[in-house]
Amino acid sequence: MFLIDCPYCGEREQSEFKAGGEAHIVRPKQPTELSDDEWAEYLFMRKNIKGIQFERWIHIHGCRKWFNVARDTSNDVIKVVYKMGEKPPTI
Amino acid sequence: MLNYTNVITEKKTYSGLQMDEIKPVMKLIIRGKKREFLSAIGKSLNLLLPTSANTSSKSEKLSALWLSPDEWMIYSNEISSPNNNHYETENLLNKNICKTNLGAVTDVTDQFVLINMRGDKIFDLLETGSPFNFNNFREKKGAVTQTILAKIDVIIHNQNQNEVNLFVRRSFSQHLFSWMNDSASRL
Repeated sequence: MFLIDCPYCGEREQSEFKAGGEAHIVRPKQPTELSDDEWAEYLFMRKNIKGIQFERWIHIHGCRKWFNVARDTSNDVIKVVYKMGEKPPTI
Repeated sequence: MLNYTNVITEKKTYSGLQMDEIKPVMKLIIRGKKREFLSAIGKSLNLLLPTSANTSSKSEKLSALWLSPDEWMIYSNEISSPNNNHYETENLLNKNICKTNLGAVTDVTDQFVLINMRGDKIFDLLETGSPFNFNNFREKKGAVTQTILAKIDVIIHNQNQNEVNLFVRRSFSQHLFSWMNDSASRL
């Protein structure tokens, strides 16, 4: 269990949030022109690294807003929280 | 207010805590982002919507709770007529907000149940079932939060010293109220 600093509501407990997977995955502009492998790459393949990972989270039991989080997956330390649409910071 | 069979029928009293449902109270959810939306609400209701997080504002007749950067709940401070579910405030907002495409107004009077809690043990009870840190919240009059209580989504409005309004969805209200009674009896 850990605390997440919601950019809208402030610091709340993790159980109020839901994780939405890896952030900054861009949907291909022409999905019909992709091969099956390329489409599968976009749809299923995720980094799942040990270290700092950029993720999407939603404050589902609070303000119901999506935002991005840079979380160290090895110890759940959250480095940065930033809003949707913003570019990932360099860490 | 429609004629529902009410699940919370009696006022419960414990040492340092009283709980009962207040009904019928008009409740509206309003959503909008534009600056004109905020000023149109202000002009229509004579009530400024709170723009900073976790706060509320109050006029003589209405209270407005901040729920999200583009979402607020407005509820009436006094009980309304039990015989109909038409509200002047809703009609006014429909005319000034919805019809001008500034935002959305939804009547949630029958969706939410308002449980009024009074006494000095309110936060002792809430702390037994919520992950939210009430330390600063309890000191701030007018503070609002959406959080979880016994795994149920609730909106909590710190209305006054030792007086809290708690909003819960109707389908969860019976379970939550029985949990609250159980928990209050062990305080």
